[in-house]
Amino acid sequence: MTSIIDDIRKTARQLLTEEKVDVVIGYEKGSLPLKATPCFVRSPQDVDKLIWDETCENNLAAFVVKTPGKKAIIAKGCDSRALMVLIQENQIVRDDLYIIGVSCQGVIDQRKIEAETGEIIGATITDGKISVQGIECDKVFNFTEVKDITCQTCRYPNPVLEDVHIGGSIEVLQQATLFADVMVMENKSDSERKAYFKEQMGKCIRCYACRNVCPMCYCQECFVDCNSPKWLTGGVDSAENLLFQTGRALHLAGRCVECGACSRACPQGVDIRALSRKVNKDVKEMYNHESGLTEEVKPALNVYSADDPEAFLVKE
Amino acid sequence: MSMGECLVNTETKAFQPKIVAFLCNWCSYAGADLAGVGRFQYPATIRTIRVPCSGRINPLYILKAMANGADGVLISGCHPGDCHYMSGNYVARRKFALIDSLLKHVGLEEGRVSFSWVSAAEGVRFAEVVKGVTERVTALGPNKGVFKVEDGGGTND
Amino acid sequence: MSQSKVGAVLIVGAGIAGIQSALDLAESGYLVHLVEESSAIGGTMPMLDKTFPTNDCSMCILSPKLVECGRHLNIRIYTNSQVTKTEGEAGNFKITIKQKARFIDTEKCTGCGSCAAVCPVKVNDEFNQGIGKRKAVFKQYSQAFPNAYAIDEKNCLFQKHGQIKGKDVCKKCVEACQAGAIDHAMEDKEINIEVGSMILNPGFKVFDASKLDYYGYGKIKSVVTSLEFERLLSASGPFDGHLVRPFDQKEPQKIAWIQCVGSRNAKIDKNYCSGVCCMYAIKEAVIAKEHSHIPVDTTIFYMDMRTHGKDFEKYYESAKNQHGVKFVRSRIYEVTEATDGSGDSVIRYSTEDGKISTEQYDLVVLSVGIEPGDSSKELAKILDLKVNKFGFAELEPLSGVNTSREGIFAAGAFSGPRDIPETVMQASAAAGAVASLLSEERGTLVSEKEYPAEMQVAGDVIRTGVFICHCGVNIGSIVDVPAVVAYAQTLPTVVYATEKIYACSQDAQASIKAIISEQKLNRVVVSSCSPRTHEPLFQETLKEAGLNAHLFDMANIRDQCSWVHMKEPELATEKAKDLTKLAIIRASMQIPVQPIFMDMNHAALVIGGGVAGMTSALSLADQGYEVHLLEKAEVLGGVARRFSTGFRGEDMKAFVADLISNVNKHPKIKLHIGAEIKEVGGFLGSFTTTLVDGEQIEHGVAIITIGGQEYKPKEYFYGQDDRVKTQLELDEALVGHDSKVSAAQNFVFIQCVGSRCEENPYCSRACCTKSVKLALKVKAKNPEANVFILYRDMRTYGYFEEDYELARRSGVIFVRFSENDKPVVTKEGETLVVSVKDHVLDRPLEIEADVICLAAAIIAPEDGKKLSKWFKVPLNDEGFFLEAHMKLRPVDFSTDGVFMAGLAHSPKNTEEVIAQAKAAAGRAGVALSKEMVESAGLNAFVDKRKCTACGTCEAVCSAKAVSVDLVNRVAVVNDALCKGCGACASSCRCGAINLRGCTNEQIAAMLNSF
Repeated sequence: MTSIIDDIRKTARQLLTEEKVDVVIGYEKGSLPLKATPCFVRSPQDVDKLIWDETCENNLAAFVVKTPGKKAIIAKGCDSRALMVLIQENQIVRDDLYIIGVSCQGVIDQRKIEAETGEIIGATITDGKISVQGIECDKVFNFTEVKDITCQTCRYPNPVLEDVHIGGSIEVLQQATLFADVMVMENKSDSERKAYFKEQMGKCIRCYACRNVCPMCYCQECFVDCNSPKWLTGGVDSAENLLFQTGRALHLAGRCVECGACSRACPQGVDIRALSRKVNKDVKEMYNHESGLTEEVKPALNVYSADDPEAFLVKE
Repeated sequence: MSMGECLVNTETKAFQPKIVAFLCNWCSYAGADLAGVGRFQYPATIRTIRVPCSGRINPLYILKAMANGADGVLISGCHPGDCHYMSGNYVARRKFALIDSLLKHVGLEEGRVSFSWVSAAEGVRFAEVVKGVTERVTALGPNKGVFKVEDGGGTND
Repeated sequence: MSQSKVGAVLIVGAGIAGIQSALDLAESGYLVHLVEESSAIGGTMPMLDKTFPTNDCSMCILSPKLVECGRHLNIRIYTNSQVTKTEGEAGNFKITIKQKARFIDTEKCTGCGSCAAVCPVKVNDEFNQGIGKRKAVFKQYSQAFPNAYAIDEKNCLFQKHGQIKGKDVCKKCVEACQAGAIDHAMEDKEINIEVGSMILNPGFKVFDASKLDYYGYGKIKSVVTSLEFERLLSASGPFDGHLVRPFDQKEPQKIAWIQCVGSRNAKIDKNYCSGVCCMYAIKEAVIAKEHSHIPVDTTIFYMDMRTHGKDFEKYYESAKNQHGVKFVRSRIYEVTEATDGSGDSVIRYSTEDGKISTEQYDLVVLSVGIEPGDSSKELAKILDLKVNKFGFAELEPLSGVNTSREGIFAAGAFSGPRDIPETVMQASAAAGAVASLLSEERGTLVSEKEYPAEMQVAGDVIRTGVFICHCGVNIGSIVDVPAVVAYAQTLPTVVYATEKIYACSQDAQASIKAIISEQKLNRVVVSSCSPRTHEPLFQETLKEAGLNAHLFDMANIRDQCSWVHMKEPELATEKAKDLTKLAIIRASMQIPVQPIFMDMNHAALVIGGGVAGMTSALSLADQGYEVHLLEKAEVLGGVARRFSTGFRGEDMKAFVADLISNVNKHPKIKLHIGAEIKEVGGFLGSFTTTLVDGEQIEHGVAIITIGGQEYKPKEYFYGQDDRVKTQLELDEALVGHDSKVSAAQNFVFIQCVGSRCEENPYCSRACCTKSVKLALKVKAKNPEANVFILYRDMRTYGYFEEDYELARRSGVIFVRFSENDKPVVTKEGETLVVSVKDHVLDRPLEIEADVICLAAAIIAPEDGKKLSKWFKVPLNDEGFFLEAHMKLRPVDFSTDGVFMAGLAHSPKNTEEVIAQAKAAAGRAGVALSKEMVESAGLNAFVDKRKCTACGTCEAVCSAKAVSVDLVNRVAVVNDALCKGCGACASSCRCGAINLRGCTNEQIAAMLNSF
């Protein structure tokens, strides 16, 4: 890990010194334990702020669009997929972008730790072991125990688009079944699913943290904020929340890169992925499409085939 | 403005659902006209919104219709290959497939939202489709679904 | 020195043919003088209740055309007028028209009817076929144009008696008329005009059934003609569409139709088939069942069911199987009055097996035939035109529309019995022929319509006016129209709401215009029928009132409400309210939209170089347009190259050779022989067709004339024994003096091979006549030959009936078989034996055949699917191209700029193919005559603030109309290319791209009303 951090800093310093980029977008240590925070390094002197570890959970692609000038970005697998979609969608000019690719072991889901230790007061990470001082107790975790659920089934830990690669690459886990989580949900009864989503949506406070961290949510005006027409009343109830989350999931159809940032950002612990994963599964099964893997394969809803499935039609 | 609330009178009258029907101008709307010309009778449950093409139907329309308390939504366009605009229904088809699947996943009752292709020559079939959709929505009862906003959901009043 | 021609046309007769010709020509730059004998345009069509095979309401489909024709700037209409004299020749005719005094100034008359209310004279109403009365001052029907009354001088008391003892007789109408429109001193006028060409469509009259006294017409009250029955069915008829017997108002429960009254009757010199009566009788039977609220028993007595038109056979089958109409093949002896005092009629008839029966009916409808009207005969005489022995105008062979005089064309029943689509086809064909003749004079005499300046409505308080239509009883008898009006009045933005009996009528249009101005309306909603047919009409009215045409919406409370909820009036009323509300919401949010003009490429592409394609190409080239004629094969001519003689004895080989030579030498026609299409792009005004060899053809319109195919029979040893031939093969063998055929003694023709069956549930139309012609040819060569024609119904419509009779007289034996009991061919050794059950003798018949001729079906072209995809035009279930409207747009596709003709549309004979090909060229010529293509402007538009330039809109746009400007980071719509489908708008996550006339805001507001 140390050598990766060194290499990142070295590359960043070089890019800034040679004025190849105006800014390097990476992670620095956050003010809270186990929370890295995005940082924008504009001078070679500041490159030592950059870190790389299992707390680097943001999808930095989300910051690229709004950062002017030539920029370098530290990109995990999911960040790179997001960059790919953003390039396809004219949000980034490839020539203005320098991608420092780093393969990703996955990131920590703090909620799993806090469930045992209470609020985290301090923590250190060494050799895959996380020693946590909690408000209730101290505990040492194996990283795999607290790995974010998204990362557990990640199939693209290695960047799909990069200008330089730092560190080694990671072997992709072969999964017997893709979308096993979605299938569990699908196999539940209608009323069980309905109840589950009602409960989840009941928790949502519509703070839009999920939207704000999402690299794909770059609209000037989100449909929920639109005044003419008003798609939502503005009230917060589970029906309206579901409308928002469903609408958002549909807007992400064929574009979601499964970084999981939305779920991690949610202060209420709403299972947002339950919606996006379902759409991703359908997109994969119906159109054999996964977003952001190559520049040639366009977002699934931008294209069609004459023999697309149409099981959804009425039987009359 | 809210449509004829008097129609749901559970005690005396059978439930008469109100179903928003988005019909494309060139095929399904013409098919509905043909049903009229042929006097093929069907239940007076649909409230048609004519759109140029099924490709015009924004997924949010469906969600909003459900939120506003429509008892059902019927969406009908040209058969694949017949689109007046060449590919509007193909583009729409992907959206529809995903919406349909997602809505069921989050607990919307099967049958609330229906999709079909009806051509300008299918007057009888149009009537059949409306009959079928009406039967299913009637069996489900009034929209108390997962998207139904309690105060009626009208957002521009 | 050649005199220059006149860019004006005389059209005589303002029925559907005259109206169609007039509109086609006026729209393509010619001044039209339309002369009509009666006091209003419309002809026979307004009298009909519904039309077959779509059951469209006749008035509904006609009335927009009446209005369009009536208000067209370049159509001058002379009602109560007749042509009395003509001189000159093609290019320059001088015409004298006599216009009889109407005694009412059409400019002043508002059509209010107060004159008729006070008029004391009641006479039989001709429009209602004498059932019911009208006054001596009258209007033919409510939608009539001009929307003005007329005084019938033969019956008006003042006109008859003038003054008695120095005092005016009557003149009550003058007192009653607030508009001061009545002028009893008006005199007949003589009008002289100059035109370059003429189209004659004076129509027809129906046979006077009282001439055949065994039908009892005129003696028995319960015997009516089919046209009278139409009026009984009609919502605007004497009983408001309530089906009752005229004399005792009893609802008939048992109705019979008797076919061929005044048709197929050599004894009275009517040895032709009127062609339309079988279909209208079926239609009347079906509609009678539908109209009546008590079960009605319907029976049609017929000789042969002749349902040979497109989709007619299916209509017949559904009448039989779904509606339970009974069909009795029979011969009628007489109709007598029932002796029980009921007023009923008794029909005595014999069936095929010779059994004689009698049956009593509440009402007997005589399916009267078509014959030339008196004024048609007069007209032919004045113009010195050749007529046939029945008095119909005789057309030049294989011309479709040419009379015996150059520059004078005919359409509709003037030249013989015809149904509406055939009439409309001929009308457009005649218009095309005129446009060819006068191509240099196009645009010389026409003026352009000017509308009042458009009112600026931006920022104004929305004032919506709502008009709810009764559509006679079509809407009003189910939907509580006053309740809908009352409801509309309560809705936001609505400042005025009212009801109209027929919102589409001329007077209603005038009233809407007046109300717009009085009430300062800036939005208009009409709840009536389908916007697909009537939106343009109402939009025109808005424009005339100075409102932008798009400040408007329609609610379809007829086709999609009253007609489909006939048993639930309350729910239908609720629905009508809701639909009206939705329309009000949409209209109130409309903003003015300006049309967009695009380039027009003035070249045409004709696909298929058979007779149809060559005819279309020549017509368009003569009209002055560049034509690309594409033929897949290495030679021109199509299937007609295999024909020897036409149906009127024409030398087809010479005819086709002539066509080919004319096409070859025409400087405006570019041939692409052996050429195949790779792809087609574009739209009206700018198509690009790419050929397989890479050549690109730019064209503004396309005509599809790819022909059909002869069905390859799988039955009757076809292909296994060369004595079994198709009609085409037998014709070739006869012409080629094939020894086997020459030596043959026994010929058996089997009809309907591959037609009227499950696989192809339609009639191939031409094969009955073709077999009769071939049989006669065989008989001519070898009078001793035994010729049998095994048939299901002999469909020798029109004048072909004479051939059928001649064949019988020549000894050709006709044996009928039924669909379930088809002839069987077996081989005994080398002998072919045909077995069939003879229905007359009721026993099986076995014939040893030397030659078997199969009347193989005409089936759809094999490339239909490809062209359907490329041009985005539909096919019907059988693979033939589907026209925009079965009755009134028989050669147009609903896609602008694409037309069709010939067998690719449906089976027909060569003469009919030619008429249709000229019609397609006529219609295509109308499109090509425009300088620019005009688009309504209901296009996508971009909100730059919201757009993120993501390119989704660009990706989903099939018209390639949207592209992303990466410099300004915004999507840009090309208005010339945008077709307004809205796929971009529904795909835009940011809500940045939207669709005029169907915005997210409008839809959301409509959804909010739920």
